[in-house]
Amino acid sequence: MAKKGDMLYAWTNDAGLAKKAECGGAVTELLKYALESKTVDAVLAVKRGVDLYDAVPVIVTKAKELDACAGSLHCGTLLLSRIAAEYAPALANKKIAMVVKGCDMMGILELAKRNIVNLDNIIMIGVNCGGSVNPTTARRMIKDVYGVDPNSVHKEEIDKGQFIIEYEGGHKGISVDELEEAGYGRRSNCRRCKVKIPRQADLACGNWGVLGDKAGKATFVEVCSEKGAKLLKGAVDAKKLATEPANPKGVEIRAKVENAMLKLGDKWRKHDFEALAPVLWETIAQETSRCMKCYACIDHCPVCVTRADKFKQPDMMVRHGVIPADQMFHLRRLAHISDSCINCGQCEECCPSEIPLALFSHAIRTEADKLFEPKLGKPAYTN
Amino acid sequence: MSEVNSTVKYVPTTCPYCGVGCGLNLVVNDGKLVGVEPYKRSPINEGKLCPKGASCWESVQKPGRLTKPKIKKNGKFVDATWDEALDLIVKKFTEIHKAGGPKALGFHTSCRTVNEDCYALQKWARVGFQTNNVDNCARICHGPSVAGLSLSFGSGAATNPFEDVLNSDLIVLWGSNAVEAHPLAGRRIMQAKKAGIPIIVVDPRYSATARLADQWIQFTPSTHIALANSIMYWIIHDNLQDHEFIRDRTKGFDDLKKTVEKYANAEDIHGVPLDVVRKLARQYASAKAAVIVYCLGITELTTGTDNVRSMGNLALLTGNVGRPGVGVNPLRGQNNVQGACDMGAYPNVYSGYQACSVPDNRAKMEKAWGMKAGSLPDWYGVTLTEQITQCGDPIKAMFVLGLNPVVSYPDSNHVKRSFEKLDFLVIQDIYWTESCEYADVVLPGTCFAEKDGTFTSGERRVNRVRKAVDGPGESKYDWEIIGMLAKKMGLKGFDWKSAKDVWDDMRACTPNMFGVTYERMEKPESVHWPCPAEDHPGTPILHIGKFSAADGKGTMFGLEYRPPAEVADENYPFTMMTGRVIFHYHTRTQTDQCAVLHYEVPESYVQMNIKDAKALGVRDGEKVKIKSRRGETVTIARVGTDVAPKVLYMAMHFNEGVNNLTNTALDPLSKMPELKHCAVSVEKIKEGK
Repeated sequence: MAKKGDMLYAWTNDAGLAKKAECGGAVTELLKYALESKTVDAVLAVKRGVDLYDAVPVIVTKAKELDACAGSLHCGTLLLSRIAAEYAPALANKKIAMVVKGCDMMGILELAKRNIVNLDNIIMIGVNCGGSVNPTTARRMIKDVYGVDPNSVHKEEIDKGQFIIEYEGGHKGISVDELEEAGYGRRSNCRRCKVKIPRQADLACGNWGVLGDKAGKATFVEVCSEKGAKLLKGAVDAKKLATEPANPKGVEIRAKVENAMLKLGDKWRKHDFEALAPVLWETIAQETSRCMKCYACIDHCPVCVTRADKFKQPDMMVRHGVIPADQMFHLRRLAHISDSCINCGQCEECCPSEIPLALFSHAIRTEADKLFEPKLGKPAYTN
Repeated sequence: MSEVNSTVKYVPTTCPYCGVGCGLNLVVNDGKLVGVEPYKRSPINEGKLCPKGASCWESVQKPGRLTKPKIKKNGKFVDATWDEALDLIVKKFTEIHKAGGPKALGFHTSCRTVNEDCYALQKWARVGFQTNNVDNCARICHGPSVAGLSLSFGSGAATNPFEDVLNSDLIVLWGSNAVEAHPLAGRRIMQAKKAGIPIIVVDPRYSATARLADQWIQFTPSTHIALANSIMYWIIHDNLQDHEFIRDRTKGFDDLKKTVEKYANAEDIHGVPLDVVRKLARQYASAKAAVIVYCLGITELTTGTDNVRSMGNLALLTGNVGRPGVGVNPLRGQNNVQGACDMGAYPNVYSGYQACSVPDNRAKMEKAWGMKAGSLPDWYGVTLTEQITQCGDPIKAMFVLGLNPVVSYPDSNHVKRSFEKLDFLVIQDIYWTESCEYADVVLPGTCFAEKDGTFTSGERRVNRVRKAVDGPGESKYDWEIIGMLAKKMGLKGFDWKSAKDVWDDMRACTPNMFGVTYERMEKPESVHWPCPAEDHPGTPILHIGKFSAADGKGTMFGLEYRPPAEVADENYPFTMMTGRVIFHYHTRTQTDQCAVLHYEVPESYVQMNIKDAKALGVRDGEKVKIKSRRGETVTIARVGTDVAPKVLYMAMHFNEGVNNLTNTALDPLSKMPELKHCAVSVEKIKEGK
């Protein structure tokens, strides 16, 4: 009987799926079971698009569709919470399950605080994430650093600190540190991220700490909620999934990997924030002075929920139709998200003006978190 | 791509606005467009979008779309079946062709629709009616680029891709406000800036793009040739020209040298101090790789073609063509202005710029299209604007696909009078436009979100357009309508089942695009033409080793400065310039339906220098009346220092706006009207009026 806090190895009993999926296919099997058992009405997952650099979100209602969604895509930099919020109104009051990496999970939690989604209706199956690589950066990196035609790559993974590719005629791994020193590698927000195992999801799954004969054949599952425990138990009882207690040594190794990742996150924070510290105002002023007001930083932000009457507001400090945008366009946003930026990086990645927006908002939140407590919500008055 | 039955579907496609060709995902839920999401896999824009691209889905499924064919009966439009409408068109076109021959018909296609539609229309015109009277609206935007670059380099297209500016040592933007008019090409300039590549913006106005520059060179409006000649004088004076390149790869140097000798100091004309000109000359000529990016600031003048050739002169003189980081790149305005020309919707060439005047080309096309030998015409067809003038004599019937000539062609009243002289006019469009009133038959086509096909961007990259939703009502794919007409006439070779069939039909008779298959376009890298074979990698950079001209040489021209057709005088003391804002596209028929775009810029305004405002007693935000010899407009003043004293600037997007004022004088070489320069007067509108 699985319960909150349990650490297990899990794998599918479906030999076909096990072959197709990674690490025993437990995540895909859990999603399939969630649909088959009618625990949820739909699953928000990610499939491979035109190639392995193209991650495409899908909302499916048939379990068999999920086979095509198995496997990881480190070059996918989607934020699924946004997609759930934007397009799942079609699923209003329906229950959904979704696979979440740290930023997806944080995004959902922030949206729940804002009553945009209802956590009672969502099952989050978390997956460990050491960071993701923007698809065009990945292709450039594989061409320039690996000397390999990116079109010939059929598999990529991040393992033991290396970004490894398999391609027609060989495989090659280069340390992520080395790639990032050279300006490639993970997105800069991912480098600073410290939510590597998403424990506020219902289950936290991954391949860290899977040892011995189970290595590569099972998924490490940490049960994080009663909801997660129930789903896992159901899948086991239905003989879809097999489990065994995690090897204590594996638990230790998983913690070690996580700690190493967290230390690396701290290193990057120090690197990025210390460089910004002495020139903070002027850097923000200079960088945002290119803003072409596309609104992507607002539209793609999981913690920017705009007012319905936003287009009826008169301008006082942000003139309509003027680019570069007046400074308040950015200051009001940075202020608004100062206590809740999740450092998902979407604002920066979607910015056509190359403004390092996530760096600014992440720095502000990180520093503010160190000083202020508690954080409060919307008051009953306006002033 | 593994197919997954998802309730919410992402359809990767190409943005319908400018010629950068950004990739984006249209999001579909239950047959309805519900949004745009980043297509981060696209190498062109990496998921990033401008305000227009991000909201482009909003105008698709709106009321007002054409849903049924309509026939005018007794002066009133009534709904018709497809058979009725098409039978009538075939009957009329055949009769008029029989009576008046191939010169009695005219065909116009839009630069906004897919390549497949453009190819289909010109094929029908040529096979069905043996006419070369087929043109597209490139004629009235980058016509001078096609004309000028063809004369200079032998090809009318941009030489280098957008991203290639990152390989430059110096970027010169001349008459281009890329940040607003081509925002994701502007982003490449921003990246270059961050990488420390020096940027010089040459523009009479302190534009959003000028703000990015390391140096903004303000000059007197429309004096490009004088300024370019001065720069070249000093390059030659300081012996900084590329002798080897000039010797091996060009002709015309002596002609150029002789002409520029008169421009040692032309500050009186262009207003740029001599030391600035000399420094710019040194900087451009000494850069290892210097690129010129230009736009309509260069082309929309009566000297448009010569302005373009002046850019060509600069590049040839300094050896800045035919390798990474260099070149002369016009930023194309419409999504498919490159493609419409590439498809042979042009009065003197077939697809891939195969000249109709060459007997071998005609023989080849006759064979490819299953025609009798000797049946294709050798004459130069009538151009777009000249076809309007020929309405009634000899042109009696016209077919217009996706254009609104009554509003968008120069001199609206002339267009209306001309249309009234036609015996028969067909308009195929997605909306009921002002031009439809003059039609005899109106056919409902489909927009970018409703069909498969391709757009060719300003960097000659063929980008896939993918169908996301069905068109409204009984609307059909535009190429399908052309195919139905051709088949009703009993023509062979129009039995296309898909957009890919049309593309393959084109490919088979177009050597420079033969290697660009739909399969290769699946990935968003796609292919830059020329690409003669399926295993050819495509050609991102033109003119490597050899120019596209027949003799393989680049040509320099001695070009004299000529003032604009109408200059400021006592009665009209201000110079009016025109341009674009980032939030709107052309006449706003699409962009004004997008909430955020309307919110940002709901009405027109004029930029005015603070000194002039003071003299006129006008404060920021107040209304002014502006008059020219042709008309007047009322707008809001934005007072500042972005424009010089006595110079005004307005965006071209608004009805009854700046185009009430603009001049219709034409560039003799390309027939481009002088939209960027006219003389006006300004008065404050008194309170209470």
